[in-house]
Amino acid sequence: MRLSASHSGTQDLSIESKLPMRLLLVEDDLSIQRFVERALVEAGFQVDASADAKSAEALAVEGIHDAFIIDLGLPDMDGLDLIARCRAHGSAAPVLILSARRSVDERVKGLEQGGDDYLTKPFALAELLARLRNLLRRSSTSQKEPLRLEVADLQVDLIAREAKRGDRILQLTPQEFSLLEYLCRNAGRVVTRTMILDHVWHMRFDPATNVVDVHIYRLRSKVDEDDRQPLIHTIRGVGYVLKHA
Amino acid sequence: MPENLRTTAAWRIALWTTLAFSAGTFVAFSIVYLLMAQEIWARSDAWLTGEARVLAQVAKNTPQDNLYDKIVEEVAELAMHEVPDERSSGGERLNYVFFLRVNHSPTEDILFVGPSSKDAFWRAIQQAHFAEGSPKSIRVEGWQPAFRVVEQVQEGSPIYLGLSERGAQHVLHTLTNRFLLVWTGTVFLGFLISYLSTRRTLRRVERITETVARIGSEGLDERLPEPAGSDEISRLAKTFNHMLERIQASVKQLRSVTDGVAHDLKSPVTSIRGTLESALSAENGEHWRDSVAQAIEGLDRMSALLNTVLDVTEAKAGALPMERVPVDLSAVVTQLVHLYLPAMAEKQHEVKTDLESGVVVEADLGLMNRTLSNLLENELIHLPPGCTIDIRLRSHDGHAELVIGDNGPGFPPEIGSRVFERFVKGKHSPGNGLGLAFVDAVAQAHGGTVTISAGLREGATVTLSLPVAEITPARG
Repeated sequence: MRLSASHSGTQDLSIESKLPMRLLLVEDDLSIQRFVERALVEAGFQVDASADAKSAEALAVEGIHDAFIIDLGLPDMDGLDLIARCRAHGSAAPVLILSARRSVDERVKGLEQGGDDYLTKPFALAELLARLRNLLRRSSTSQKEPLRLEVADLQVDLIAREAKRGDRILQLTPQEFSLLEYLCRNAGRVVTRTMILDHVWHMRFDPATNVVDVHIYRLRSKVDEDDRQPLIHTIRGVGYVLKHA
Repeated sequence: MPENLRTTAAWRIALWTTLAFSAGTFVAFSIVYLLMAQEIWARSDAWLTGEARVLAQVAKNTPQDNLYDKIVEEVAELAMHEVPDERSSGGERLNYVFFLRVNHSPTEDILFVGPSSKDAFWRAIQQAHFAEGSPKSIRVEGWQPAFRVVEQVQEGSPIYLGLSERGAQHVLHTLTNRFLLVWTGTVFLGFLISYLSTRRTLRRVERITETVARIGSEGLDERLPEPAGSDEISRLAKTFNHMLERIQASVKQLRSVTDGVAHDLKSPVTSIRGTLESALSAENGEHWRDSVAQAIEGLDRMSALLNTVLDVTEAKAGALPMERVPVDLSAVVTQLVHLYLPAMAEKQHEVKTDLESGVVVEADLGLMNRTLSNLLENELIHLPPGCTIDIRLRSHDGHAELVIGDNGPGFPPEIGSRVFERFVKGKHSPGNGLGLAFVDAVAQAHGGTVTISAGLREGATVTLSLPVAEITPARG
């Protein structure tokens, strides 16, 4: 796994506080709890893990967490009730809901609209981290929207919607530009095919074919044309990452 | 036959029918009895008054000589014999009649013709008050039952004619006795017939029960015998058979679903296990990485399959959470075509589109995306390279019609009309047999349909038809 690649991402977030962000993870399945905790720690977060709602609530009232990751199916309480209780205690930290259920019920949809997010099992760690960062970014003081993104000698001008590799202007279709923009915004972090579909085409489904890959190949053939230094890398079994090797 | 007769429905039904029947016939008999009694009394009264008038006339017209009494007595005797000489089976005389004439002049003289001495009769007559010409029942000492007596006054001399009520009572008694006999017999016979016929009918129900019980425990192949005709029980049998047909179909489908899931999950599990096992015994780090990646890919396919199975099951059960909003189908299709074009081009497919713009349906956007992408993925998965794919969107007659046709090999003939069932796929199909089942379920959930047909130049055509939205969206 090349999850270490995402360290840089967390550092961005911790610039203001200079402290690692602290998360509360509530998951009763210990095997899941263990790997999620390890992934979060590797990504630079400080994690408090809890396997039941009661101890989680005790931790949550301390008000020291920047975000909660809560599984819906807890042994002693419904995850949504736990969220409601945390909110009642005055905690405003955003929540990432984990659910084993495929179809998301109305209450979760309501939370989603309220600024929280959900993820259905099984999930890719890359997606968990991406959604978590999104939540944290939204809840922290709004960062200034960058006007241009730069990775190595790749420059993406978000205003003119133009991309350059060194001096060479890349001839991109609007779809390819959006894809490149998404990869650049997540430079150094692995993104899955599902995440790409979600953010570039605004569709949430798992493609059974290479439909996303073909777009990546086309974009790569333009960005890494003479492959002096390829920027778009395939992480087998996970997805893609744009980074300066 | 159940051990306790009284707990059977046949017994209860027969009992109640018989009760109702016997009560009814009893009421009917009572009415007939009353009418008959009335008639009998009226007849005997009519005879009495008529006869008394005749006797009075005779008494009046006969000269008052020495033979007077003799003649009147003679006439009275004759009149009495007009009464039918009914006798009971024992030979007992029933119709006792008496005649009594009181002659006040010149002396108090009583002429009596009757079954015994006049004293008891005379006493009874003296105690009673008569209205002339209307018969009255009086008790005569030593006689049972009462006598019906009429008074006819002739020149101050009253004539009394009496008839014992025994005759009339005997007729009524006989009537009652015979009725009771016939009634008991009829009631018993009625009960027997009603019980037997009900039991016969309910035996058929019992047979249905037995067969259904057997079907429940053994297998769904058996069917109830369907008797000709269309009475309630035949209909019950037919309804049961229809139900069994449907249950068998869904069990068969369920079995194919479980078989499908088992098959489609077992192969990736086997391959993942094998891959990881070989990684364990490998020394090479690069080989490890490769194996783990392969395992993750296999797991992703498995989880996609699980999700699709759950989705299709939910959709089939009508339990898909849906948020229906006006969706610009033209825009959605255009976007999806753009998404899939590069992948299609990769396989040298030629894609022709003819999309009417501004076709709006009321639908769940997420489900629409997945449904349409399913159709396009189908083309990617099933077509050999170098085909032509035709995508047309039209709205007519209140329906949005999306037609995706190709000139590929078409649907395998062996699956026929079952393409929309879960896990039904061609022998060599690389898909999971769930795509069209999902499309069908979503289309139905939106009040639409999806149909397939062989294209003009062979190939396959899928037509998705959805009702267009009644309101247009605020923004296209």
